[in-house]
Amino acid sequence: MSELQHEIKNLIIDSLGLEDMSAEDIATDQPLFGDGLGLDSVDALELGLAIQKRFGIKIDAEDKDTRQHFANVANLAAFVSARQAV
Amino acid sequence: MHFKIQQWRAWAPSLESSQQWRDWCQAPVRVADEQQQPDVSFLAPMQRRRLSRLARMVFNVAWPLAESHPRLPLIFASRHGETPRTLAILHDLARGEPLSPTQFSLSVHNAIIGQWSILRADTSEMSALAAAGDGLEHAVQEACLLLHEGAPAVLVVIAEEAPPALYTSFIDDVPFAYAVGLLLTPGDDWQLDLQTGSGPRSEWPHPLSLLRALNNDQQDITHYWSRRQWMWSRKQK
Repeated sequence: MSELQHEIKNLIIDSLGLEDMSAEDIATDQPLFGDGLGLDSVDALELGLAIQKRFGIKIDAEDKDTRQHFANVANLAAFVSARQAV
Repeated sequence: MHFKIQQWRAWAPSLESSQQWRDWCQAPVRVADEQQQPDVSFLAPMQRRRLSRLARMVFNVAWPLAESHPRLPLIFASRHGETPRTLAILHDLARGEPLSPTQFSLSVHNAIIGQWSILRADTSEMSALAAAGDGLEHAVQEACLLLHEGAPAVLVVIAEEAPPALYTSFIDDVPFAYAVGLLLTPGDDWQLDLQTGSGPRSEWPHPLSLLRALNNDQQDITHYWSRRQWMWSRKQK
């Protein structure tokens, strides 16, 4: 697990108040929403805001790829590093 | 208005068991708040993660009272509501930072009963009131209307969070964080009457004053707020 992936897992736990969870409990390829981790639409907004604040990147809620970027931790990490490289 | 107080529960920092409350009712003191969290372990972590302490106080007192009632109307009253959440949002606004969607969506006054309705899968009638210092009496009045309409039982919960330091000079009726839950059923054990009248403020918030009457076998209580005189009386046995 990369350092960025680890950081994103902790960001998810802290920003969404996932009591009793640690980074090890979230698999890198586990779906974040629906049947996976079980996050919902309010979490999506909260996590989007946390990512923007932490990494200083803009997220376009209308972008059709956004859903894909937020599918799991691996995708989010890839998305963040691609944006930071710009 | 008449009704029966079937059961009561209360929570405050370091006051959880009914014995602790009976002791407090005998010798009431302003309890110290060390930010203790009410136990809500009957909820899964994913369900309780968004509950503020005020919401946890409500769930802590109300959940056991609702145990054998899959459908139970609820009247929630709080004069001050989620002051810590609102203040956090105002701080973010003042600093020009984007607002937390979670904080924002849960800062409204009916957010707690909304979460209650979702987590209990109960779509019964529920109301959130913000009354003055006599929110208890207004809530009981609402509950009596529902009983009168035929509800077999109504849950009343009054809760106040300790105000953030910035607000303490404006809020003088919350000596410490507390929640009181009452399960009301039809009956004539208690009567509550309202008339115009003025008098001294009760020493403790009305819900705590009622708890003292319940536990100390007091026959009647009179609460004044503004020009309202509320008279509670027990049926003579």
